[in-house]
Amino acid sequence: MQALAELKEQIRQALPDLDVVIGWQQGYDALHTSPLFIRSEEDIDKLVVNEFCVVNPATYLREMRGGKKVGLVLKGCDSRSVIQLLQEKLLKEEDLTIFGFGCNGVLNHTKLQARFGDIGFITSLENDGTNVTVEAGDKKETVPFTELCADKCLTCSYPNTLQCSHFAGEESAKQADSATDKALEDFEKLTMEERFTFWQDQMRRCIRCYACRNACPMCVCKDHCLANSREPKWLSEDVDVQNNFMFQLIHVMHLTGRCVECGECERACPMDIPIMLLRRKMAGIVRDVFAYNAGTNAEETPPLMCFKVEEPTIEERH
Amino acid sequence: MACKFISHEDTNQWLEALAKDHVVFIPVDDGGSVTFRPYGEGRKPVLDRMPVRSPKEAVFPQNETLLTYKYDKDPEDPERTSVRIKETLPKERAVVFGARPCGTRGMTVFDSVFVNDRIRDPYYATRRENTLYVTLACHEVESTCFCHEVGSGPADTAGSDVLLTPVQGGYTAEAVTERGEKMLEASFFADGGDKCAEAEAVKKATREMLGEAHDFSNAPEALLAVFDDDEFWDDQAAACLSCGACTYLCPTCYCFNITDESTGTTGKRLRSWDTCMSFQYTLEGSGHNPRTTKGKRLKNRVNHKFAYFPDTYDQHLACCGCGRCIKSCPASIDIRSIVKAAQARSAQKESK
Amino acid sequence: MKANPVLPDMATIMEVVEETSNIKTFRVRFDDENVMKNFTFEPGQVGQLSVFGIGESTFVINSSPTRMDYLQFSVMRVGEVTSRIHQLKAGDSVGVRAPLGNAFPTEEMKGQDVTFIGGGIGMAPLRTLLVYLLDNRDDYGKITLLYGARTPQDLSYQEDIAEWLGRDDIDVVLTVDNPDEEWGKNPHEKTGLIPNVLKEINPDNSGYAVTCGPPIMIKFTLMALNELGFKDDKIITTLEKRMKCGVGLCGRCNIGDKYVCVDGPVFKYSELQELPNEL
Repeated sequence: MQALAELKEQIRQALPDLDVVIGWQQGYDALHTSPLFIRSEEDIDKLVVNEFCVVNPATYLREMRGGKKVGLVLKGCDSRSVIQLLQEKLLKEEDLTIFGFGCNGVLNHTKLQARFGDIGFITSLENDGTNVTVEAGDKKETVPFTELCADKCLTCSYPNTLQCSHFAGEESAKQADSATDKALEDFEKLTMEERFTFWQDQMRRCIRCYACRNACPMCVCKDHCLANSREPKWLSEDVDVQNNFMFQLIHVMHLTGRCVECGECERACPMDIPIMLLRRKMAGIVRDVFAYNAGTNAEETPPLMCFKVEEPTIEERH
Repeated sequence: MACKFISHEDTNQWLEALAKDHVVFIPVDDGGSVTFRPYGEGRKPVLDRMPVRSPKEAVFPQNETLLTYKYDKDPEDPERTSVRIKETLPKERAVVFGARPCGTRGMTVFDSVFVNDRIRDPYYATRRENTLYVTLACHEVESTCFCHEVGSGPADTAGSDVLLTPVQGGYTAEAVTERGEKMLEASFFADGGDKCAEAEAVKKATREMLGEAHDFSNAPEALLAVFDDDEFWDDQAAACLSCGACTYLCPTCYCFNITDESTGTTGKRLRSWDTCMSFQYTLEGSGHNPRTTKGKRLKNRVNHKFAYFPDTYDQHLACCGCGRCIKSCPASIDIRSIVKAAQARSAQKESK
Repeated sequence: MKANPVLPDMATIMEVVEETSNIKTFRVRFDDENVMKNFTFEPGQVGQLSVFGIGESTFVINSSPTRMDYLQFSVMRVGEVTSRIHQLKAGDSVGVRAPLGNAFPTEEMKGQDVTFIGGGIGMAPLRTLLVYLLDNRDDYGKITLLYGARTPQDLSYQEDIAEWLGRDDIDVVLTVDNPDEEWGKNPHEKTGLIPNVLKEINPDNSGYAVTCGPPIMIKFTLMALNELGFKDDKIITTLEKRMKCGVGLCGRCNIGDKYVCVDGPVFKYSELQELPNEL
């Protein structure tokens, strides 16, 4: 792959001035990658870029404070979280080196699982960009990529890394499959009661492992999240619908106007709870009210981080 | 071990019968993931996927109320209150149906810790005594399966009362305990006949699918040899997000928190799953924390399973090889490769 | 073995002593006289105090088993539970789970000199052993106490200290980091860090040394004791870790395969050296 070779070369050149470059490496099987922390020349060859590079490397930035020079290999969606963090002045641009490339979308394990049984049963997978051919046990099936990719890829407008220092390979010409968020639209056709029932049932399944929170690049409170605070106490240790819902709503509210919809929370959830529905709803509201897309322009001040007597995008109702 | 047979149809009838006087936990499709939920309300067992949640929760639920308390105002002196507490021991009888041998084996780790000659935890002991495990042997393996490397196998009976093995038309059933033997007296079970040989062939074939087993027997020494090697542990934990998915879903992780949860003048003391991967877990009141980094925390999780537990309890690993921690890790951290890396690192150190 | 190791016994606070600005001592009795009558423990063992609705916390029982009128716990205000305990008054109810953990090797120490080195709240576990030894005075050799705190006002157990100073069968030396104008008028009042004062006192190194205090003080005291020639298996300390269950189940107080709540809190220095480095 052209882009990969170029990426490796760009990293090789930049590495002497960096403490670490974060990318992806082959995971424990063909369907998984895991984060790669490149600190030496030998590590560079471990880098992979494929449809399973799901983890957002920007998530590890919160551990890299203190003037560390960090390189990041980022997909378009991942790069938005870095820009948003820069907008919030939580990062210094001079500490970062971004390696970009054109992304053609990532596959979603939950969707693969729904179709083929446990991921671990899949023995081979081939993706030509349009179709995915999967072998599991004695089953072999070819499925359109759009049926197995992450939801975010269906509506993605940023397939190319934004604001990168280096760009490898050709730009992705991938177009959003649909301008509208079908899953969210379908959900909103439900009545209030139906929606509430839906969420109650989903929140019942939450085990409060906080994978969603910890996988979120925007959750910068790290070990001081109020979910773990006993004084003041917002949540009980009871893992029940009420407390789980409370936590998830706190999480959503703290991300409003900040969430870049990288989808890591939902992907990290071991229970496959569709919490991105909540995030996408809030991001939609922020787009409607403030005409703001989080993490797309480092020069812009996020609307909830400034006060204007008259918000130009809000029509006052007198 | 006597081998009996039960057809698929009769299995459903058997579950129906068991559900009359037990909560029967079966693996079901729960919003796309497979979890254990009580039989009934039209729920159908899903037996072709490994449950995401582990069978430990029938006996060691995520929340267990240890006691309830109530404050009463002194009518003479409203400034004064008195408090009464009430022990709340669990009572229900349960069956866990369709757990995999690895998951059920996890209960043997709990048994060693919670009921021994030093202590008997009455909450755990009561639930364990009242819960029967009807386990299903595997006929397929996943990329994350390594039961054969930790002293178990796809037809392990440890922790189970009955072991079912899938054969044409149903399951063979073998009693592992006396309680299991009693269960198989139900009219749904016929003599196994030639199904038994078929079951043995399934077990053998599945074991062969797993291939050769890596040898973890020197893991305790190897892990302790690299205990102070911070670089090694920081490296192994670099991708860790410090969430609790691995520990909460693990069939052998038993560490817990105790908190008081109150509503006005009443409340309960609650035991809840806790995770050693969290910063708060060892944070002391003074602000001191013996495990400030995620490298130190990951070390504790791995060492507990592959060094401390085997050192304390007759060399048994506190890992059942189910692979849940690997599969559910958002960063795909693989405990097998960590222990292997520690073995390699300590060998390297020794040869120097 | 208790039928339910996590179920507390109800007790009532008899008396509260304000030791310092952030340390209070609570004297409690079990409500059930039978429980009180049958209660036994050894010096060094700990107990969990419960305030229902807030939680439990671990404290050493710092009264001596030779004086069973009440159980005494000293509580430094640091967190959620300890702040709530500090609000309790005589007559209030608390839950008590005790005794937990191991104890000082009082049998083994018989006939030997014992040097106590306590810092701050670390005096609490020493107090129980010290009172026990004084109540069995003939069984033990020379007893020396070195007790230090930040300021004279941070020294707890003033009543005890006055009594000990009046006895001729125990040597008492006090030290503070920051003296006030009154401090130093008596020969037993020193100024300086505990390990330095310890070296100054230069106690006979053939006996036992028992030390407890903040981690940094313990670290340097152990070094000083080493320098003075005390044997590793005669240096005894008590450890503190975040604890929840107190009965070796919940997992958080482990150092390697040892649990501080059941295998400790009392450890010999020789035992500590065998443990992985995770204090």
